[in-house]
Amino acid sequence: MTRTLRQSPPESEVDASARSLDVRPSLWSRHRELWLGLIGLLVILLAWQLCAWFGVIDVTFTSSPVGAIASLGDAFASGEIWPPVGSTLASVGIGMLITVVVGIPVGLVIGRSPVLYGLTEQAISIMYAVPFVVFLPIIIFWFGIGDEARIVIVVWSALFPLLINVVAGGRNLDANFLRVSQAFCASRVRTLWSVALPATLPYILAGVRQAVGRALVGAIVAELFMGTDGLGYLVQQETANFQMDNAMAAIAVIAIVAVVLTRGVAYLERKLTFWSVND
Amino acid sequence: MNTFFARRRNTVNQKLLVEDLQLGYRSTRSGTYSVACRDLSFEVRQNEFVAIVGPSGCGKTTFLSAVAGLQPVTAGKLHLSGRPVRGPGRDRSMVFQHASLFPWRTVTGNVEFALQAQKKLNPAGRQRVRELLDLVGLAGKENLYPKELSGGMMQRVNLARALVTDPELLLLDEPFAALDAQTREVMQEELLRVWQADEVHDGKTALFITHDVPEAVFLADRVIVFSRGPAHVVESIDIDLPRPRHSSVKRSPEALAHVDHILDLVMRQGGKERVDDEDPATVTS
Repeated sequence: MTRTLRQSPPESEVDASARSLDVRPSLWSRHRELWLGLIGLLVILLAWQLCAWFGVIDVTFTSSPVGAIASLGDAFASGEIWPPVGSTLASVGIGMLITVVVGIPVGLVIGRSPVLYGLTEQAISIMYAVPFVVFLPIIIFWFGIGDEARIVIVVWSALFPLLINVVAGGRNLDANFLRVSQAFCASRVRTLWSVALPATLPYILAGVRQAVGRALVGAIVAELFMGTDGLGYLVQQETANFQMDNAMAAIAVIAIVAVVLTRGVAYLERKLTFWSVND
Repeated sequence: MNTFFARRRNTVNQKLLVEDLQLGYRSTRSGTYSVACRDLSFEVRQNEFVAIVGPSGCGKTTFLSAVAGLQPVTAGKLHLSGRPVRGPGRDRSMVFQHASLFPWRTVTGNVEFALQAQKKLNPAGRQRVRELLDLVGLAGKENLYPKELSGGMMQRVNLARALVTDPELLLLDEPFAALDAQTREVMQEELLRVWQADEVHDGKTALFITHDVPEAVFLADRVIVFSRGPAHVVESIDIDLPRPRHSSVKRSPEALAHVDHILDLVMRQGGKERVDDEDPATVTS
């Protein structure tokens, strides 16, 4: 059938003549958004630096890109930056682990049960909408300012975005998939593991992506207010000591951590849900 | 009348018995009960390929779901191999209307799911999966994902998944309705080829739901016409075309006579009381 379509003109000839007109897209057009983003960033840094050089702003208060970058270099060279990074990542990591282990099963159960959904929907969306920072004093009151309190804040901030997404995934689970599972006499465990879980995976990963961002915010906020360690504490301490270059360097590290974490989950999403028809 | 003769003819070979069957469902919102089938009676013999046609919305699909065990029986008898149908069973397989393949599994993975569900995925099972994929013409496509498949290929996977558990009764719910006309013709022939090539039985017992009358005549040993819902049997027509059949059979005078007769029955069902919302074009498609 396909053969009859290929009769005239020979395919290879068409390809060759068409290919001679091909132009390899330039380096610019292939990564246009990336380049534009970098230029935008550079313009802002340059403006900041010029203001610092011409004395428009006082570097004692505002630092400057050159100073911050030098400080950043020092921090990496001396290795001083790694303990705070490790501490912050540990809070985020442990908090996310608890969030995922609790949030995914609980979200699926709520999503699949109309009664539980009805009971919890309002509470979850209120908790999602209220800025978690307002609970900070209460959490300190309950848990003190130790490591547990930091983890509690991370979980508190990360759980609700994940929960909302997983519940939505459970609710939108395609009934056709469940019918297939039922028709072939799959057990409940098999249905949960081989049908419900992969079918809601796009929702779960979207939830994890949002949760990771919020978890980082939670960890930094916790460190700012009650830390003895971590990147948030570093920013707080350096600012208190008028070391603005160091404070800005620490903020830059936080930015890098944030980008790496969310991009990492986005990468995971593409890898694990490539089958999804939506992309 | 037909059921009467069928019962007299052979009860030993009887596979499916439907007697005064009533099916329906209650809407949870409004509480209203809608009846899909009422006083439905017929039977299906072992190794028989039965096609059910009827106007759209007449309860064909509900009936098939009931046979699959996905829909409770309200009243009457629905017996499979002499036992009442109480739920899904390993002796039945369903080819779904929409492919309903799992998009996160490959072609092989989707077919294997049926075996996994029944805890039968062993080396012999994997071998059977490979053979079936060959049989339905999917060799070389084993590792593709559903979104990389055409509609026809998806329904081949759907068919392979249903056959892999070696069911006694194959249920097909308008499997080719969503395909374009050309693919549908190809798939009809493929289905017959697969059905006739089954070496384990001489053709499994099959219940095929469709609203495409020529398709029903081409495929089936017997065509049962359902009435407008709530469905009951209008007529059961034996299709005595010789097997193996090729697509040329469709143009034979015998087949065309059957098609005309059945179309007339279906159209009268669809057109009489509900002229406004029954589109005869869907019947002839």
